[in-house]
Amino acid sequence: MNKLILRGALALASVTILGGCSEKASFSPAQQSGTDPTLPSPQRYLTPPMQVPKKAGWTQGQTPKVADGLQIERIASGLQHPRQLLVLPNNDVLVVEANSPGTEPVTTPKQLIAGLVMSRSGKSAEGGNRITLLRKQAAIGGEWEKHNFIENLNSPFGIQLIGDSIYVADTDRIVKFPYFSGETQITASGVELADLPGTINHHWTKALLASADGTKLYVGVGSNSNITENGLAVEYRRAAVLEVDVASGGSRIYASGLRNPTGLQWEPTTGKLWAIVNERDEIGPDLVPDYLTSVQEGGFYGWPYSYYGQHIDIRVMPQRPDLVKTAITPDYSIGSHVAPLGLLMSADNALPPKYHNGAFISEHGSWNRSPLSGYRVVFVAFQQGKPVGTPTPVITGFYSEDEKHLYGAPVGLVEDKDGALIIADDVGNSVWRVTSLARQGS
Amino acid sequence: MNSVARSDRSVVATAIYGLLNPIPFGFFVATLIFDIVYANTAVIMYAKSADWLITLGLLFAVIPRLINLVQVWITSRQFSTRYERLDFWLNLLAIVAAIFNAFVHTRDAYEVVPTSIWLSVFTVILLSIAHIVTALQPASKREHVHE
Repeated sequence: MNKLILRGALALASVTILGGCSEKASFSPAQQSGTDPTLPSPQRYLTPPMQVPKKAGWTQGQTPKVADGLQIERIASGLQHPRQLLVLPNNDVLVVEANSPGTEPVTTPKQLIAGLVMSRSGKSAEGGNRITLLRKQAAIGGEWEKHNFIENLNSPFGIQLIGDSIYVADTDRIVKFPYFSGETQITASGVELADLPGTINHHWTKALLASADGTKLYVGVGSNSNITENGLAVEYRRAAVLEVDVASGGSRIYASGLRNPTGLQWEPTTGKLWAIVNERDEIGPDLVPDYLTSVQEGGFYGWPYSYYGQHIDIRVMPQRPDLVKTAITPDYSIGSHVAPLGLLMSADNALPPKYHNGAFISEHGSWNRSPLSGYRVVFVAFQQGKPVGTPTPVITGFYSEDEKHLYGAPVGLVEDKDGALIIADDVGNSVWRVTSLARQGS
Repeated sequence: MNSVARSDRSVVATAIYGLLNPIPFGFFVATLIFDIVYANTAVIMYAKSADWLITLGLLFAVIPRLINLVQVWITSRQFSTRYERLDFWLNLLAIVAAIFNAFVHTRDAYEVVPTSIWLSVFTVILLSIAHIVTALQPASKREHVHE
């Protein structure tokens, strides 16, 4: 009979192993990036594959690695989850420090467990809910001066300057602050311009981009779920780019079906709106590629009903074949689960010429994939206003070689007035500045 | 349950078993009902409710299943009947199906359908048969079980 007990125990153990098994990715991110990515069939899991490196932070003197011909320096440390950046006309750099408002209720047992695993990475650390101003110190290199610029915000992310007003996208509204050139602190309380979808906030970031003439603000609003597991009702005005009229605060849906548009930019040669979008999880390590796409007015990009054009997602009920027919295929795949959180279109800068005319994209890094993907900044070259080739790594070395420890994770990207690339790092709580080796001292 | 030499069973263990053992069956029946309602309505509340129900059912099953395991195979082994052994195996299978089902329930939205329903049906049927098997046991032998 002991044999029987043993057999029973073995059966139970095999169940646990089956439940915990996960398949490795079969495509490399490079194979799955570009204008025509290969998409495998979706898989069903008992538990989604998870690989999350543990937060280690940067040690003294340790930096991310940069590509040949570049150098990197830390210009700020000790920040509280720095996410987005904005360069002011006087070359001061604003750093938005924030993280999720933590308003998503736990409504399934899975959230309890997944939350515990994912918090290992340091990506869920508490945000500062403030904006810090960095000012370059005359002559002496090293870290820049830090000033508390705006405080008491509500999970801010996007930030834009139009004329003498700074617009900050809190998780639930756009707030306008008066700005006087050269000041290092705003004490005036902000005025609300428009409210933004703020319930649950499964995806809480609100990316922000002003039109060239300053009359409109474009807002990237993420979905309220991975794939409608919180119901369709909470997805109102979600997974969309909203257009807000700066004069009146009135808004409309500019484009939809974009699961989590975390970065918006104007393509300099055509003047078209482009976005980076985080696609859905849990149907395989090589699905669905996150993408970079031009955003057409009134365009529908698939979420939740389909992905990458007309690939149906069976997890959504009811299905909408009528909408799927209209779904636009994105322009360019960045790779599955890389989690793009920062986008910078740059026509010209002080980096070597191969980094001109293209898009820098920061990849915050995967949790739903093994081996890890993302955790780097890449450059995608553009020709005639369209992305070409595969992404070139620019900044790497954010995790240890054994994929167990995480030093940092890149988010916001901007170019300062000297043409250097500035990167916010929300796990390393730092801001980095990349310059060309050839132009040292610029 | 350190009284291996005794023929009768621990009063405390039997009492705890009697209190906790009926609970999982109720949870699993409720899971089945909510699984069917979700499959028919696609209202997400029912999917999430079923997810909690099966998880709680499994948590409540841990202690009575361990007590049963020890009583049937260790402490009262020489007195346990084939009805009790069959009851044990039926319960074990039902729990294995429910564990699979709990993982299936972690899937997002409509991906749980239809696997969730089949596994819920399987669990409820196995436990129902186990109850019938226990009821079929001759009264003279049943005394051991509920002493």
